[in-house]
Amino acid sequence: MRVRSEWSLVWIGAATFASSAAAQPDFEGFWTPRLERERSGQALIDELQGGVALINDTGAGELAAGDFAGLKLTPAAVEEVRRYNFADELKRENTCNAPTAAFLMQAPFPMEIYQSDELVVFKMEYFDLVRVVHLDGRPHPPQTAPHSRAGHSIGHWEGGTLVVDTTHLTSGTFMNNGFNHSDSLSMTERFRMSADGNVLWLVQTYDDPAVFEGTAARYMAWTRRPGEFVYPYDCDPSYGNE
Amino acid sequence: MQPGRVVLALLAATLVAAPGAAHHSFAVHFVADKLIKVHGTVSEFSFRNPHGVLMLTSDGDAAAAGAWKIETNSPNILRRRGWTETSIKPGDVVTVEGYPARDGSNFMRVYRVIYPDGRELVGQRPDPSVVNGDD
Repeated sequence: MRVRSEWSLVWIGAATFASSAAAQPDFEGFWTPRLERERSGQALIDELQGGVALINDTGAGELAAGDFAGLKLTPAAVEEVRRYNFADELKRENTCNAPTAAFLMQAPFPMEIYQSDELVVFKMEYFDLVRVVHLDGRPHPPQTAPHSRAGHSIGHWEGGTLVVDTTHLTSGTFMNNGFNHSDSLSMTERFRMSADGNVLWLVQTYDDPAVFEGTAARYMAWTRRPGEFVYPYDCDPSYGNE
Repeated sequence: MQPGRVVLALLAATLVAAPGAAHHSFAVHFVADKLIKVHGTVSEFSFRNPHGVLMLTSDGDAAAAGAWKIETNSPNILRRRGWTETSIKPGDVVTVEGYPARDGSNFMRVYRVIYPDGRELVGQRPDPSVVNGDD
């Protein structure tokens, strides 16, 4: 009887683990951006704490020069914006200057997601960026570790929501209008899928006290398209002017 | 550290921290709520990311005459709508409707390319949210 009881506990534990694993949604597949008039994932936005500035430039939308979504920029950022020369953007040397994950995800390009218990990989079509999210409990590396356009990402599941924390991003454009985030920006992402598995929502939140006060956020959404793939981007700098 | 070296170190840190100019923004460089038309003959067409480029010699009035550089949105987006490297060829006579450059130069972003027989190649739509998910 005692043996049966212990095996029962093991069985219950295994069943609980399996249930927990099964509860995690399967994000794997091809996803193309939804260019929405009405936000189908408004519920995810509603979970933001008060005072967060929502940057409304997702997909085809873009902010004009001088529009920083209501954020209060630090004096250093104001000065950098003042010195920014938009004509330089059309030079050959800047044609393939890709954004970081803090701006790139909102661009109107599809992505493929690969998922296991320990990793989630985002293969982005835009500028061929690949993001790796570690789910094995490791911490971020030391501050002195290399920074990159993908940064270093660690994640965990909160029920059906994938929560990703990213640091170690290089400085890069934040709104594509002369305002750059710093290389100390920290980004938190909450990914959630619709009940039918056909829509994926994301809200990114950003903290970067070197260049702006408070917290900013962006909302994104994608539609699942089985059987499709991202194309290579292979940015060609010859587009630019000399 | 000597004061001069401190200044040099701070200057170096600033230079390292500042990224180069970003890939250009549509909203900053083009007028999104205005469309213009240019008619002429294609001299070159390249179809590579980040933008396809159509060089057109305009036969229009004096205001639009001369050589135009006309960019498309990303070829990756357009491939999914059927565009290819040979959709437009040198020698084609076309009308291009698009969004003018803010600086008034002969530079624009394509909304659509219209052939004499009425065929159209659609680039950046005025309201992409009309069609979810494929722009």
